[in-house]
Amino acid sequence: MQENILNQLNKVFKIKGQVKSPLRIKVVADKDIVSSILLYLKAQMGFIHLNHISCVDWIEDNKFELVYIVWHPEQKQTVLVHTFIDRENPVMENIDTIWDQANTYEREMREMFGIEFPGLVGDREFILEDWQEMPPMRRDFDTKRYAQETYETRPGRENARNVRLEIMKRSGEELPDFAKKYSRD
Amino acid sequence: MTNNPDKHIKTIGIPTEEEIRQAQIDFAPRCTSAGRVNDKETQKIVQYILNFARKHSLFVLAYGTGCGAIEIPATMTSRYDAERFGIRGAATPRQADVLLITGYLSTKTLKRVIRVYEQMQDPKYVMAFGSCTINGGMYFDSYNTIKALDRYLPVDVYIAGCMPRPESVIRGFIKLQELIQNGNAGGGKCYRDNLDWYRANQQKVIKNWNFPDEYNW
Repeated sequence: MQENILNQLNKVFKIKGQVKSPLRIKVVADKDIVSSILLYLKAQMGFIHLNHISCVDWIEDNKFELVYIVWHPEQKQTVLVHTFIDRENPVMENIDTIWDQANTYEREMREMFGIEFPGLVGDREFILEDWQEMPPMRRDFDTKRYAQETYETRPGRENARNVRLEIMKRSGEELPDFAKKYSRD
Repeated sequence: MTNNPDKHIKTIGIPTEEEIRQAQIDFAPRCTSAGRVNDKETQKIVQYILNFARKHSLFVLAYGTGCGAIEIPATMTSRYDAERFGIRGAATPRQADVLLITGYLSTKTLKRVIRVYEQMQDPKYVMAFGSCTINGGMYFDSYNTIKALDRYLPVDVYIAGCMPRPESVIRGFIKLQELIQNGNAGGGKCYRDNLDWYRANQQKVIKNWNFPDEYNW
């Protein structure tokens, strides 16, 4: 069954996929033909359900990786369509004409990664409010520094230091060895 | 005469000056200077009774932030039964005494919480749940949650834990009742006195301060 799916995709789109597990197929495609693949999967092959669209920031390669996860409810098969887009000028085709729920994922990616989807309907402000910095899920956004600059922290608790060690130091209490093993400083 | 609505209102709705003067004489308080209490001992007793009544009728605003709101149904329902302490829900901020900050508070929610807090009437109390409100907890490096709640709102009781179990919540309420009985609870006055400090902190994290004019007092 998985060979059939791979052969069919290879015949139509000239792409090679690989079988990751008995229930999962991975396909890497160029960004221009991703929407065609998804439409073909939905209309011709019965992958009618869009599970998720996820985004990975490969800052070293200067790329964003988008993963479209679609599902066949009768064959219980999952196909993951991977594609890479440029990180400097991230533009991707809008697919909410194929699945309506893609709109939500795309709006979130637009806000959190700054990826533009031409023709995407919806408010630019989605989850964040009054956000003025760079999109916060990009890896070059220094979350910790921003948090320390913006928010007031309680003195002595600026980081994830172990509380037990602090209490031990102040009160002179002995900590058993097994507790020291799990404490981080 | 029947077709003139203005005249109708005038005769029934708005009393004339003469009627007002007559009503002031009729319904004036009977106990004037003779019955009025001003000495300190009596004030103390009155304050004791007021505090006693307040601590046994804590109306909690049905509003939850973060993940801790899921502990409230368990606290209120039959197993832990918080109503035996006089704790029960209130639908609107104007009817409530206690505001629970149940867990992490994002800046987006903080904006709403400030509005809710300022709508509540004195005496009003704030209880903060979990380590997120104390020092940020596991969100200590998050870009969108505040780290120390008492910089933005006056907090009466902090409950440690992640999340606090209903036993801890009830213990926190008992601590709040102690504070109320001793007259130490209620941050409304503190909030009003140090409003500039609180506002400066709030406006530091809320970038777009587009509150209605009633909140810019």
